[in-house]
Amino acid sequence: MKKLVWLMAGVLAASLGMAQQTKLRVFVGGQQRPDVLRKILDIYEKRNPGVKVDIEVGGATSDQQQQYLTTVLASRDPSIDVILIDVIRPAQYAAAKWADTLDKYLPGISKVALLKQYLPAYAEADQIGGQLWALPSFADAQFLYYRKDLLEKYGLKPPKTWDELVKETQTILAGEKNPNLNGLGYIGAKAEGTVCTFLLPVWAAGGDVADTNGKLTLTEAQAQNALQFWLDTMDKYKISPPNMAEKAQDVVRQEMQQGRWVFGTLFGYAWARFQNDADSQVKGKIGVVPLPEFAGGRSATCLGGWQWTISNFSRDKAQAYKLVRFLSSAEVSKILAIDASNLPVLPSVYKDPDVLKANPWFADALPVVLTARARPVSARYPEISDAIVSNTNAVLARTKTPEQAAKDILAKLQQIYAGK
Amino acid sequence: MNKPAPKYRRSFGDLSERALGFWLLLPAALLLGLIALYPVLRLVYTSFFHLRLSEGPQATFVGFANYVQVFADERFWGAFWNTVKIVVITVPGALVVGLLLALVANLPFRIKWPVRLGLLLPWALPLIFVGLIFQWFFDSQYGIVNDLLMRLGLPREYWLIQPTLAFWAICLTLIWKTSSFVALILLAGLQVIPTELYEAAEVDGASRWQGFWRVTLPLLTPAILVALIFRTITAFQTFDIPYAMTRGGPGNSTETLAMYIRTESIDNLDVGYGSALAVVLFVVSLVITIIYLHYVRGGDE
Repeated sequence: MKKLVWLMAGVLAASLGMAQQTKLRVFVGGQQRPDVLRKILDIYEKRNPGVKVDIEVGGATSDQQQQYLTTVLASRDPSIDVILIDVIRPAQYAAAKWADTLDKYLPGISKVALLKQYLPAYAEADQIGGQLWALPSFADAQFLYYRKDLLEKYGLKPPKTWDELVKETQTILAGEKNPNLNGLGYIGAKAEGTVCTFLLPVWAAGGDVADTNGKLTLTEAQAQNALQFWLDTMDKYKISPPNMAEKAQDVVRQEMQQGRWVFGTLFGYAWARFQNDADSQVKGKIGVVPLPEFAGGRSATCLGGWQWTISNFSRDKAQAYKLVRFLSSAEVSKILAIDASNLPVLPSVYKDPDVLKANPWFADALPVVLTARARPVSARYPEISDAIVSNTNAVLARTKTPEQAAKDILAKLQQIYAGK
Repeated sequence: MNKPAPKYRRSFGDLSERALGFWLLLPAALLLGLIALYPVLRLVYTSFFHLRLSEGPQATFVGFANYVQVFADERFWGAFWNTVKIVVITVPGALVVGLLLALVANLPFRIKWPVRLGLLLPWALPLIFVGLIFQWFFDSQYGIVNDLLMRLGLPREYWLIQPTLAFWAICLTLIWKTSSFVALILLAGLQVIPTELYEAAEVDGASRWQGFWRVTLPLLTPAILVALIFRTITAFQTFDIPYAMTRGGPGNSTETLAMYIRTESIDNLDVGYGSALAVVLFVVSLVITIIYLHYVRGGDE
């Protein structure tokens, strides 16, 4: 009998101990290396006894993840505490009240000091209405990938302006006379990446969609020039094949891997594929430089990357905040850089000798990511994206003139920015 | 004295047959109400609100404003007519092809399974899968369609980025995919037609052609109607195949109503407007069903 009492007391004590334990759940996409994240969370659990963190793994693409998360968050499900979201989404999370603001935990000065450590574009992408809604996990950006061997063969330097890029490509194509070699590859299909395609020449000419106060600044002329430029790559300069409206990002990546493009504007993931894939024809032949500018403009590239945010329905937001700070720290950024080849979000990590040893190309990547700019930060970003993508795709398919498409884009953007 | 009640009465207490039917149907009715009726009612309710999750979770009642917007929305009309064109082309298309397939499958082959398998395969493939396969077929550079054209000395076509060609590519894919469903229903219909009728027709001196028109087709009408109802309704909801093949592109030229509904409610989080669009699609489907059902009943009488 006595034994039984002791046993029951033991069970009671154990269950009390269990009750004191904090349980957190983080959500990440299937492509975002949950295995590496598990390793990182193990470190966190070891340092914070009593905290258990498990991982929920979602779909492979940003769209698939968001479709699921929309259902979870719209029904105010508290089961997820911390979510890894695409850089285009913080504004949406803030407006829908799906995320909790980090300003609560970060008084004014400490927030400014913290944000200064990250790549500058993230302060823009993660702050909405002066409040911080997310912190970056790993970075991404579009790079101008180029064939080092071909440029060297013709004695050319990587282009600084789009005009130079056009001329260099024409020189190489004329010299190679290879029907399977194309000039400039970019994303033109009906897909999110085409927003970046549209924005690159707008930024390169010094323009942008909106200013920091969220006021629309894009003009019809700027939009038209950008669209005309891409149309000209096919019809006037003949540096891109006529079917760019078909090209999804990964199609260009695969073709470039087979040695079929001189230049390509692609996100960071392409680098590892070019260097490591068994079927790659371009190992050691690819370089990266910042995106070109137009005369009088600036070099700018499209920001990507993933952000940690706290679910507004989490039952333990203070603990969730602690975890988010850890996950967006320099220490974790370094682990992600070495183990998952993820681009760091802090410039300091790019210079870390261990990181450079694992990824020597990060030395070239840093100047590019420092020029990264965020796509329009708006709660109605999906509508902005939809208007830009369908019109840019229509121009590339030649079903709309750049003039008409620019009008249609502006009409939709004016409606969105006016809150209608 | 009390007569013993009939046995069935005792075992079911005092329930009449009607009440028994009621209780037996209740679970199914409840389930149907929960998974079909409730969402539809909820959808209609939401369509009267301005509810954009991008502006926060609060909803404001706006009456018919969303519907007014629907009918003034150019993109809605574009998607609507695309959908109507798909119905008008692919439903008769699938019927003709399906009928031919069913007639072939109904021939007295010695080994039946290869024919039946060929009939079943397109039907068994998931829609999105078919869309992706045909996207590759119609790819301008790597596709089998252009490969064939070029072997025949014809020029390369940009199938999926040219609005008219993209539309026909989608229709062809839909017909390929859906004709096997039609064929399955028609094959079942063909097999219950007694061979004596054909023999009698033959004795009366009818040609095979006359046999088809006078015997097969009239007796097959109920099966054809059933196939048409299902096919028309699913054609109005066409989503997966154009989504996989073109994403509605180039521009929005091959967007269907179902795709536009998804964009508004899932991508843009405009739940109110998306609901209004969905109600319009629901009403159209309902009207078509009622018209067909009217036909079917008329046929029975």
